[in-house]
Amino acid sequence: MEITRRQGLMGLAALAAAPALLPGEAAAQSRAETLRQVTGGAVNTLDPTMPGSTRESFGISMNVYDRLVGFGRKMVGGNWVFDHTEIRGELAERYEISADGLVITLHLRRDALWHDGTPVTAEDVKWSLDRHVSSKSLAVSQFQTGSLTSTEQFRIVDAHTVQVVLDKPDRLALSNLAVPYAIMINSRLAKQNATPDDPWAQKWMQANTAAGGAYKVESFRPGVQVVLARNEAWKGGPLPFFRRVISQSVPEAATRANLIEKGDADLAIDLQAGDIAALTQRAQVKVASIPQSNGFTHISFNTRQAPFDNPKVRQAIAAALPYEDMFKASLFSRGRVLFGADWKVPPNADFPQALPMRQDLARARALLTEAGLADGFATTFSFGTSTAATSEPLAALVQEALAKVGIRVEIQKLPDAQLNTLQAEKKLAFYTDSGTAWLPATYYFFYLYFTRDQRWNFANWENARITELSNAARFERDTAAYEAQCKEMISILADQLPLLLLWQPNMDAVMNKAIEGFTYQFYRQVDFRDLKRA
Amino acid sequence: MQVLRRAALRVGGRLLSSVPAVLGVVVLTFLVMRVLPGDPAVYFAGGPSAGQEQIDALRVQMGLDKPLPVQLLTYLRDIARGDLGRSLTTGQPVVVDIAQRLPASLELTLTALLLALLAALPLGILAALRPGSAVDHLVRFLCTMGVCMPTFVSGLLLVYVFYYLLGWAPDPTGRIDVFAASPPEITGFLLVDFALVGDGEGWRAAAAQLILPSCTMALFVLAPLARMTRASMLAVLGGDFIRTARAMGLPGWRVILVHALRNALLPVITITGIVFSTMLGANVLVEKVFSWPGVASYALDALQASDYAPVQGFVLLMASIFVLVNLVIDLLYGLADPRAAG
Repeated sequence: MEITRRQGLMGLAALAAAPALLPGEAAAQSRAETLRQVTGGAVNTLDPTMPGSTRESFGISMNVYDRLVGFGRKMVGGNWVFDHTEIRGELAERYEISADGLVITLHLRRDALWHDGTPVTAEDVKWSLDRHVSSKSLAVSQFQTGSLTSTEQFRIVDAHTVQVVLDKPDRLALSNLAVPYAIMINSRLAKQNATPDDPWAQKWMQANTAAGGAYKVESFRPGVQVVLARNEAWKGGPLPFFRRVISQSVPEAATRANLIEKGDADLAIDLQAGDIAALTQRAQVKVASIPQSNGFTHISFNTRQAPFDNPKVRQAIAAALPYEDMFKASLFSRGRVLFGADWKVPPNADFPQALPMRQDLARARALLTEAGLADGFATTFSFGTSTAATSEPLAALVQEALAKVGIRVEIQKLPDAQLNTLQAEKKLAFYTDSGTAWLPATYYFFYLYFTRDQRWNFANWENARITELSNAARFERDTAAYEAQCKEMISILADQLPLLLLWQPNMDAVMNKAIEGFTYQFYRQVDFRDLKRA
Repeated sequence: MQVLRRAALRVGGRLLSSVPAVLGVVVLTFLVMRVLPGDPAVYFAGGPSAGQEQIDALRVQMGLDKPLPVQLLTYLRDIARGDLGRSLTTGQPVVVDIAQRLPASLELTLTALLLALLAALPLGILAALRPGSAVDHLVRFLCTMGVCMPTFVSGLLLVYVFYYLLGWAPDPTGRIDVFAASPPEITGFLLVDFALVGDGEGWRAAAAQLILPSCTMALFVLAPLARMTRASMLAVLGGDFIRTARAMGLPGWRVILVHALRNALLPVITITGIVFSTMLGANVLVEKVFSWPGVASYALDALQASDYAPVQGFVLLMASIFVLVNLVIDLLYGLADPRAAG
C-alpha cells in the first residue's frame, strides 16, 4: 500500500487535531454514561432501616445493597411496573419453598463479592437477617408482617445455603426479603465498626456502607446529594448501563422542571402537576405516567367518635361527595379512580379496587335523617401542608358538597408533624391522607390499615370479622379460600366505609427523551439498574 | 497599647454581658419546640409498618420520655460540652451539619451584602444630592421593587430569564457544577478555597454559581441600605460644617465623600449589621430556590419535621452570630466616629 503525499498530510493533521478532540469526546462520553436525578426530598442515611429514613434513602439503598430476592417487572399500559407475584433471585441465585410452606431454602451466588472484594458467605446473610429482627430499627416491625421474628428462624446449611424456617406458612415471608429494609450486609466489615453499645453498627452504617450491590457510594452529603459509581464486579444481575449516578436534592419543583427540560438533568419523579402539563405540551421531554398501583388516597372518619361512629353518617357523606369533580380539581384526573364502581359482590380479590361509591344527594339526606341528624352537624376536615397542592381543592369541594346536606365543615391545614401526631393519637375526626403498601397483597392492606390499635389504622376502625379474616388469609394456602376471604373483606369495607377510597395518583416520571426502561417500583423510587440511555 | 487594652476589655465585657441573653434564647427555644404540637417520635417512626412500640422506643432513644426539667438540664450540659445533639433529618450530629453548611450561607450572605452595599451607597448618595429629582425617584422605584418582590419570586424570575431563556447562567443548583470534581475543603468558602489552591477555572465556576442567588438577596436588602444612606446623607448635607467646607472652596467630591459620607455612615453601619443578621436566617427561600446547602434551609426542613436538635442548634447559632455582629458594629463605630469609641 502506497501513501500519497496528500494522505500523509491528512494523517498529520488528524494527529495534530486528536489531542484537542479527545478530552471533549471523553467528557461527552462520561456525561452520556452519567445519570443525573433531581429530587425534592433528600437522602438522609445510607442505612434504610434507620428510624426517620426518607423514601429517597430507600431508593439509594436498593441500588447500593443487594437483597436475597427481588421482584420482577411487567408491562402495564406501555410502562414497566413491578410485579410482586414474580420473585426472582438477587444475592440468592435461586430458592425453594417446602411443600408445607414452612421452610425457604436460599442458594447464594457462589461468585458474589462485597464491595471490598471479599466473598459473600452464609454467615454474612445470617448476620444480616439476625440484625433485621434484633436491632432497634424499622426492619423489625416490617419483618413481623412476614412472621420473621427470631434469630432462630435463620439457619446456615452450608457456606452458600441459608434456610428460613417459619412456624406458620406466612404468605409474605419470602416477599419480605425483597423490601428495602432487607439489605444484605458485609458482616465482617460491619462488625469491625460495631461498638458494645451498638452491636449492629447502626451508627456507622448511617454514613458508610458495607454492601455488595450494583452501585458503590462515591460520595454522600446528607440532605444535599449522593453520587454512585457502578460496581463492575456485580453479579446480582446484568451490569447496569450507567457508570455513574448523581442523585441531587433540588427542593424547588419549578427548578427541577427547568433542569429536565434544558437537558441538564435526566430524571425527576416528583414534579408539580402544573409543570407536568406544560412539559407534556412542549414535548421536549418524555413523561411516563403510571398509576401508583400499591397506594390509595382516602378520606377517613374517626369511627370511634360521634357522629362518625354511626355507619349511616359515613354512608351519607359517601353519597354526598362529587367524586368526579374532586378527581379533576385535585389531580387534573391524572390517576386511577377508586370510586364509582358498580357491583354488589367484588369482581375480584384485588385491592385497592374501585368501590361502589357515587354521588346521590337524596340518598345522603335520607341516610342523615335515619341517623337522626336531619339538621346536619358541624365538623372539621384536616390535611397536611405537604399535600396542600392536591388536598386544598379537594377540601374546598368537600366543604361545598357537604353544606348542601346541612353538614358545616371547617377546613384545617396542619404541618405534617402535627397531622401525624394527631393521627397517631386518634384525635382527627375527618381528614384526607394517603397510604401505600410495599407488598400489595389484599390481606396485607387490611392488616396494615384496618386492624389493630396503631397509627396506620387511619379510621381507628375495629371490626371483629375483618380482624378474623385478615389473620386467616395470611396463612391460607388454598387460593380459592384466600380469594373468598379477600372478597368478603372488601365487601365489608364497601358497606361500613370506615374510610372513602378516592384514587391512586399517577407517578409522573419526567425524563430526557433518550432515557429508557423506567420502572414503577413498590417503594416509589427509581431503580437505576433498569435504566439506560438510547 | 492602651487603645488595644481598652478595646480588648470592651470586647470581653460585651461578650460576658451577652451570655444571659443567649442563655435565655436557648431555654426559650427549647420550651417553644416542646410546646409545638408535633411529636418527632411519631414523625420519624413513620415507616410503612411502624407501630406504637417503635414510637415509644424512639422516644426513649431521644430522651423524650423524661420530665421536661431533666431534658432541659441534659441539653444544657450537652451544649456546655459542645454537643448540640443529633439530627434525625440528616442522621448526623448537628455540629457537623452546621459546620458543613454555615460557610455556604456565610459566603452567599457576605457576597450579597457586598453587592447590596456597592449598589446602595452610590444610589443613596445620588438620591440625597438631588432630592425630588428624577434620579431620586428612580432610586425610590428600584428600592420599592426590590422590597415588595418576595425573594422566591425574584429568584425564580432570574432563573427563568438567565438560565432557562438566555442560558447565560449555569444551572441553578448548589454551589458548584454537579458533574465537576469535588472542590478543595479548606475553609468551606469555595471562593477562598479555589483561590488558595490556585484553581482559576474552579473559582470562576463557583463565582458563576454564586451570582444569581446573591443578586436575588442583594435586591431584597437594597432598600433599607439605600434609603438609610439617603436619609442620613440628607441630614448631614444640611449641616453647618458642610456649608463651611463648601464655603472654603473644597472640591465637591471631597466634601461629599470625606466630610459628609463619613458622618452619615453611623446609621448605615447599624442597619448593615441588622440586615446581615436578618439575611443569614431569612434567606431560607433563596437557599430553597437555588438548592443552596445552607443553614437556613436546613433549619426549615428540621422545623417541618419537629426535629428538635437542629432547630435549637440553629437558633443558638443565630443568637451567637447576632452577638458577634453587634460587637463588630460597635468596633466599627469607633472607626467611623472616634467619639463613639469612648
